[in-house]
Amino acid sequence: MSQINDPKVAFAYLRPACVLLTKEPTVANVETLGEQLKEIHDASLQQLQEYVLFPLRFVLKVPQLKKEKLVQAVAEALSYVLEKTCVQSWDTLHDLFSELCLCLCSPTDPGKPADLSEELKSALLRCLDALLHAAYGDIVFKLYEPIMLPGLGAAVSLLLALGEKEKSREVQAAALRCLQSLILHCDCTQEHVIPSSDERCSVGSTMASFLPGIAMAVSRIITGNLRQGHAVTVRAIKVWCGSVGLVMEDAQLQSSKACETPSQELGRIGQLVVQRAPEWVKSTAGKLSVLLKKIISCTSAHRHWRVRLEMVELADHLLVACSQSLRECVGLLLEALVGAVNDEEPKVRESCSRSSDGTSQILADVLSENLHSLATSLPRLMRTSNDQKKLFVLKVFLGYFKVLGPLVSVVLNSAAHLERISKALMQVLELDVVDVRIVEERSHGESLERSSGSVGSYAAHIPQKHFLYFTDEKIFSVLMEICRTLGFYGNIYLLTDHFLDLYRQSLVYRKQAAMVLNEMVRGAAGLAMATGAQCLDSGVQGPSASQEDLKVAAVSIMEEYTSLTNWNLITTCEETDGDRQDHDTTAIATNSLQLIPSSSAPPPPSMTTSTVHQLNSNIWQLCIQLEGLACLAQALGRDFRPLLMTSLYPVLEKAGEETLLVNQAALNSMMCISQACGYSSLKELINDNSDYLLNDISLNLQRLSQHPQAPRVLTVMLAHSDSSLLPLIRDVVQDVLMALDLSYNHSAALFCSVLHALMKALARWFPVSRCRTGGSARSKTSTDDFNCRQFLLDYQKQKDLAEGVGIEVDDTEDLEVPPASEGEDAEDICGPDEKSELPSHLIITKEVAERCVHLLSDPRLQLRLKVLEVLELCVYVLSERENELLPMAHRCWPVLRQRLTADDPLAVLRAFRVLCTLGEACGDFLRRRVSKEVLPRLTSSLTRQAPVSAKAGPVYTHTLAYKLQLAVLQGLGSLCQRLDLGEADLDAVCEACLPYLSCRQPVRLQEACLSVFQHLIQVDPDTFWFTLNELHCPCSYTPPHPDLPPIQLSGMGRPRDEYSDNFYFCLQ
Amino acid sequence: MSLPAPHPIYTLRGAGGALNTLHFRCHGEDPHLLFSGSGKGSIHIWNLNSRRAEKVVEAHSGSSVTWVSTLQSTDTLISQGRDMQVCLWDLNEGRSELLESVWTGSVGFCQCSLLETSPTNYLLAFAAQQTEEIKIIELPSKNPVCTLTPKAKVGMVMCIKLWKTNSGLGPLLLAGYEDGSLLLWDVTQRAKLSQVRAHPEPVMCLTFDPRRLRGISGSSEKKLSSWTLDSQNNIQLQDDVTLVNPGVSQLCIREDGRILASAGWDDRVRIFSWKTLRPLAVLQYHTDMVLSVAFSDHQDPRQRLLAAGSKDQRISLWSIYNDGAGKG
Repeated sequence: MSQINDPKVAFAYLRPACVLLTKEPTVANVETLGEQLKEIHDASLQQLQEYVLFPLRFVLKVPQLKKEKLVQAVAEALSYVLEKTCVQSWDTLHDLFSELCLCLCSPTDPGKPADLSEELKSALLRCLDALLHAAYGDIVFKLYEPIMLPGLGAAVSLLLALGEKEKSREVQAAALRCLQSLILHCDCTQEHVIPSSDERCSVGSTMASFLPGIAMAVSRIITGNLRQGHAVTVRAIKVWCGSVGLVMEDAQLQSSKACETPSQELGRIGQLVVQRAPEWVKSTAGKLSVLLKKIISCTSAHRHWRVRLEMVELADHLLVACSQSLRECVGLLLEALVGAVNDEEPKVRESCSRSSDGTSQILADVLSENLHSLATSLPRLMRTSNDQKKLFVLKVFLGYFKVLGPLVSVVLNSAAHLERISKALMQVLELDVVDVRIVEERSHGESLERSSGSVGSYAAHIPQKHFLYFTDEKIFSVLMEICRTLGFYGNIYLLTDHFLDLYRQSLVYRKQAAMVLNEMVRGAAGLAMATGAQCLDSGVQGPSASQEDLKVAAVSIMEEYTSLTNWNLITTCEETDGDRQDHDTTAIATNSLQLIPSSSAPPPPSMTTSTVHQLNSNIWQLCIQLEGLACLAQALGRDFRPLLMTSLYPVLEKAGEETLLVNQAALNSMMCISQACGYSSLKELINDNSDYLLNDISLNLQRLSQHPQAPRVLTVMLAHSDSSLLPLIRDVVQDVLMALDLSYNHSAALFCSVLHALMKALARWFPVSRCRTGGSARSKTSTDDFNCRQFLLDYQKQKDLAEGVGIEVDDTEDLEVPPASEGEDAEDICGPDEKSELPSHLIITKEVAERCVHLLSDPRLQLRLKVLEVLELCVYVLSERENELLPMAHRCWPVLRQRLTADDPLAVLRAFRVLCTLGEACGDFLRRRVSKEVLPRLTSSLTRQAPVSAKAGPVYTHTLAYKLQLAVLQGLGSLCQRLDLGEADLDAVCEACLPYLSCRQPVRLQEACLSVFQHLIQVDPDTFWFTLNELHCPCSYTPPHPDLPPIQLSGMGRPRDEYSDNFYFCLQ
Repeated sequence: MSLPAPHPIYTLRGAGGALNTLHFRCHGEDPHLLFSGSGKGSIHIWNLNSRRAEKVVEAHSGSSVTWVSTLQSTDTLISQGRDMQVCLWDLNEGRSELLESVWTGSVGFCQCSLLETSPTNYLLAFAAQQTEEIKIIELPSKNPVCTLTPKAKVGMVMCIKLWKTNSGLGPLLLAGYEDGSLLLWDVTQRAKLSQVRAHPEPVMCLTFDPRRLRGISGSSEKKLSSWTLDSQNNIQLQDDVTLVNPGVSQLCIREDGRILASAGWDDRVRIFSWKTLRPLAVLQYHTDMVLSVAFSDHQDPRQRLLAAGSKDQRISLWSIYNDGAGKG
């Protein structure tokens, strides 16, 4: 649509509408004019401006015509005109301004808004805004002459009232926008008049009169309704910023004009004029700072980032423009700025870093002072305020460090600052140590070995710290960032010294100081640090500490952490396994949860000195220190490798600890260290540094009383490494065995766990290829397609052989003898050689087995059980070397027999397992002994006990006799199978077990007995089929051929009795 | 006053054989090193900072290495093996190249003795092919200087020590023989200066303190015998020290002349005051005969370590009596 460009044509076009409007001021006419106006080109409209405005203003002027619809239409038309044109005459501006204000205000009070519809209000406000924008530069400033003060004042208060009280957000925003225009702080995209400094000064003087009103009302808006929406708040902040920035501008106040006395001719109006004298400035600044404080506290943690962004702009603007006049507020403003340095919204951060770059150069003093006072109040704030507030305060704290940048080290040189800051951190980071579970949780040895399998994927559960003063994880991460920033910019020597001092000073601070140190070192290495763009001196990048400095600091921290007093903390109620008395309960045997001893039980001596609190605290301290070692490793990277000499041992020591938390922390720490030092896995870490570890282990084994943990370290090492460790480990094993020999009574339990770990490792490293398995050959006979003829032929042949018919077969056997003896000779020849070259793992195993023989008769059940396990592993490892195995079996037989026949049920069961393993490896060797020395006693005791248990009540299952029965029955079956016992023995076993098939026996005994029969049936299915059927035959059998006589079994046709069910089960 | 028994500060393991000889080199900027010669023929060069073998030189084709030393001036290592060779090795810039080798012809266990006469020249004394014969040659030119053979029958050469006097006389040589005799030789005159029967058993080791003109020798019996040289260069027997268990493999005096260490066949290292020969400490760690002891030549007296090498294939490092002037 082309617009009318010629002013004359336009005039002709518009004239009828204008005339009509003057005559008949109706909504329709105004709208017609409005429509027509849109077809006029801007330039023409400018020429016709006065003409067009006249009818519109006329409508506004005539009071009786003031109908809302009409006024609104007029206001819209006016806005259109004003947006398109400029106002060149002061009269027009002045008149329109007052007319619009009049329309807005209530008839009785020019400072109060009239009760109009929202649409009308917003139309009028839009019109007013357009007017202020349309005013020419030379006339607009007339508006701010002292003479205009009353009118302007009314307008300002009207707009403030609208902005504050109005319900509609649009109206509020529009009113505030008008105010922005009035204070020359408009942020819209249109062109604005740029005032000269004189003009700005006069505007400032005028607005000074309204500053109290504006500042107060606007801060009410800002701090008022939280739900008013961010747009209004943002506008309000802009108004506040604009008005304060205008009135309190340093540039104006420094020039003499600011406090010119008003000329006399103003009369009473002169009293309204404010002289911006220094006293006035000071008192105003004081009042403003109160308001500012409110505003900042309300907005800096505001949910909407635009508000926070606006706050940054405000702080920035005021710091640039009014840092002199608003000296009192500088701290507040900086705080706001600094708080936003760590804002989560990147735009805010960006703007903030931009502004702090420009402004804060000179403010190091103020910043450090602020920092000091904040550090002072931090603990109080952390105790009292809510999480969000805490988070903000800490962000401010962090912001100071970031803004200060390298100046941090200067600030920290002041002892007062350092003291405050460190104390604040100490108090804030206080841990909550009341959780009882920490002490209770026990790690089971398996977790350790499980982890060795899949090192890469294994991520130990990282325990969460609980703090006294906060719960939010974000707060903790900010705190940690603070520590890192400190380390990044600060002097690492000074900080390390100071915090180590705190660490030593008191138990109360120890954990916190360690936490701070850990993160500080990481920060000093530049780890997990956002690049320091925000700092004052952004020229310096990278951490202040050199790698050398870092190393020195790390060494001193590490020495402190791993010193005996700080490392060997009591974490369990009991001292060691060895001190435990031999309780006859399974609870301890299964190594399950250990309860804190109740008052009824006699408390162990350590409990009197250390409460649960202390234990918890110790545990946490260890965890933190372990994390610390990981941090040091991360900070130093590969340079940490030489430090492994002293640090790896302590970490492994803790990895062998029973307390779950410590154990896990140590494992985590190990992972971190191995990663940081460039090892691909824990295994590599340990293998590469096994010499360091073994040195310490070997030395500490000689002073076991001071270093009781040495065997544990070996255990952890064994669990995590492979056979390449063996050559090195050999002499340490000698040391272990020697140490064990020297202290059988004292620490046998501890050593047993080492031996167990050792044998387990050996069994893993040198798996035995089992070629001989006991029952497999026999079980093959149970073929499905049973061939009667072949069976009889085989039977015939066997029978002939047994009667000596086929003697000639022996000749062929004789022929085979010479080569066999040749083989023996060959063996003899290489025999001595073989002896000297026995692989070292077998030598070790032999030695361990030797110790086991001694320890098997130890009075402590716990120990005996462990030793039996070790022995079983020894047997397994030796099982391929009969030359070594048989003497060993012979030596341990007497003690093992004792275990089998006269020991606690638990031990009996384990002993059975050992015997089975032995039987598998050298069944022939043992068969006679077992059948002669063990079986008779076992079977007789079973037979003797059978009637007792059959009659016993439910309490019987808690007796020792029952447990013994159960253990024997559970072990007997597999033993028979493995040892390949002779028929007589099997019969004896069968005889003894049969009573237990009765359904009157306790259920578990029946089950165990069934397992015995199942094993027996595997050994010799026919015999036991027959035996069972002789006693009880569930079905009749018809012969496959009529020539054969029918089968007569004595068990046939018997009535159902107590044995029936189990017999059926066996025969299935 | 009895302090708790000290413990080694570190043990070096992995030598794979009995440790016949040890030698420190701790001067200069380089990482401080300890050389060890093993019964399996390998020379381990241990870095004392990382406490690991930096390099292993397979020196004498599997024959036992009986003695190692280094030259002050250059990065040269000298080793003697039971393959009757003395070898010079260049260790510059991480190399280990064979420079020279000298055939000794001795089948005994006598360790060589080295005397640096100037930065480029040095004398090497070694037991030669004849059992009683000692040869001295100049290196690196390999010119024979002299051959010393005692007239009396004293048996095989067991140990020798070459040193230079302050009195302007040429280098002197102390030698211990199989029958327990000690002989003092003047190398330039090729003449025996003095002879004394110090032990009833073979002299296993001797060491000499040129500043005090005082020496001590050990044997396979329970006694250490100390002696001095008077102004006429006569060996004068002095006090005996009686040990608990017989047999000493090596004796070593610390550079500051305060303490003496003995490597005992009873698995122990014993420390004596060198002035009074009072026993000061028994260092117990090894599980087999201690074959060698050595003191470090570190510039800082506080960091002077004692190393002991044993038949149990470990080297133990000790930090003893080196916390300043108060003790020793």
